Amino acid sequence: MTRAFLSGMRIHVLQFTKNAFDVSGVVLWPILYASIAYYVLGAKNDPKLLLAASLGAAVMAMWSIVVIGSSGALEHQRWQGTLELLVAAPVPFAVTLAPITIASGIVGGYSLLATLAWGTLIFDVPLAIDDPLAFAIAVPACIVTIGMLGLITAATFVVYRAAFSLGVSMQYPVWIATGLLVPLSVLPDYVGPISWFLGPTWGFRAIRESALGGTPWPDIGMCLLVSGVYLVVASACLHLFEKLARSRATLRLS
Amino acid sequence: MAVIEVEDLTRTYRSRSGVVRRRTTTVEALRGISFAIERGELFGLLGPNGAGKTTTIKILTTLLLPTSGTARVAGFSPASEAREVRRRIGFVFGGDRGLYDRLSALDNLRYFADLYRVPRSVKRARIAELLELVGLTGRERERVETYSRGMRQRLHIARGLLHDPEILFLDEPTIGLDPVGARELRDTISALRAGGKTILLTTHYMYEADALCDRIAVIAGGKIVAAGTPADLKRVVADRTIIEVETFGADDAAFDRLRALRGVTGVAVETRDQAQVVLVQSATGAELVQEIVRELDGSTLGRVITREPTLEDAYVELVRET
Repeated sequence: MTRAFLSGMRIHVLQFTKNAFDVSGVVLWPILYASIAYYVLGAKNDPKLLLAASLGAAVMAMWSIVVIGSSGALEHQRWQGTLELLVAAPVPFAVTLAPITIASGIVGGYSLLATLAWGTLIFDVPLAIDDPLAFAIAVPACIVTIGMLGLITAATFVVYRAAFSLGVSMQYPVWIATGLLVPLSVLPDYVGPISWFLGPTWGFRAIRESALGGTPWPDIGMCLLVSGVYLVVASACLHLFEKLARSRATLRLS
Repeated sequence: MAVIEVEDLTRTYRSRSGVVRRRTTTVEALRGISFAIERGELFGLLGPNGAGKTTTIKILTTLLLPTSGTARVAGFSPASEAREVRRRIGFVFGGDRGLYDRLSALDNLRYFADLYRVPRSVKRARIAELLELVGLTGRERERVETYSRGMRQRLHIARGLLHDPEILFLDEPTIGLDPVGARELRDTISALRAGGKTILLTTHYMYEADALCDRIAVIAGGKIVAAGTPADLKRVVADRTIIEVETFGADDAAFDRLRALRGVTGVAVETRDQAQVVLVQSATGAELVQEIVRELDGSTLGRVITREPTLEDAYVELVRET
């Protein structure tokens, strides 16, 4: 199963990077988000705030790439008739589907590098990572937790044919509820507990704390814990939704 | 020993439309079909579009759940023991789809080999062997999107055979192929059959079914209307003679007059380019050629042939009766 998983990641990264349109979106989003963050916060002349905003923009782009990338990939799988082959493979469906979302997360990992590079080169955002080891672990932990949240959403895409539209509509609620777009402190109190259940919250905190100085390890732990819970929930959802798709005959568009 | 058993299988599709006034449309794709396929047999499922062939294959390959009835594939239920069934079957659906177009054939095969748990020690050799079998050696590093339809179809076959399944489902594998490509694929299917695979094949092409299949079931309107060897099915029309007349510009009234002729048991019309080919079935020995020519007076006539019935004639008769 490990081989099926790794091979799936390789094939989906390859597939993703062979479409110029998809690649252009991935290249441009983080740069766009980082530029907006700079122009919104640049006047405050606070280097730490700028770096935090850049990292937030990077995680926003990461989530966008995962949710749009995986929903687009699933819709594409339907069109090209490979979704049925993935479902009919003799391995758990999660093993065939998780590589799509994790592969999107890895591609999204680029957004972090691009955002930091763009901010440093163009806007003089200081690139000083306080705890490089924690940072090196926080980034993949963030990718995994975002990928696993993407897996839960991807499960719904198996049943619903309008996967891409659904994926696009899921970007903003997560941006808002995890405090990536605006600080949670300015949102109603009930948003706080919601954010605890969302992996990007912990992923962003882990990256931010390790970069700016703080206690990133509990956040990294939460990333892994939440990822584990997501995996269990996603596996159960996939089992249920696969059955639903076989019952409703929605695996194919035609 | 039967490796595929289907008992009273039904499948109903429901689709909903409308936002305010929800309308439900129900289509009964299968209405209680039963058949069994022995180990090593090449079994053909024939039927017109919408007859239920693909639905049957999708249920047996675990991609669809039946509405009622039971099926066993290699001793396991495709509905409740899907994973066990998936380990033992390969399937190939006709058409352009089902491959990663942006990637090479080799990348496609490597991925599916991993997905279908082909041991690492044999993976490379197995892929090379299958590329050779389907005639794609030397082209395996090219992107699939540059492949012709025939090449894609052959790649599908290679993909379906990667894990050396004991049972193979082929859903219209030669559809859209040129005659040479279709013949090569038929040779491949014959070789697989000779190698001991159990194969369920659906096709529209009667000569293909006649040449390849040990037994055939004709399905129409979701029901099996006949089953047996190709020779058994031909016996349905063995007491008849087929008179094939090529005409240009004949109208429906002329065909109705043919149907009314004494001794005529059926009339079918096929359009081939500008010509209409009228197939008149009659009781053996009935001398009808002159009468047929007279009734078609007013249209230009081409060849007139009297011949023995084929599997296609039997099929047309069976489907027409339903």
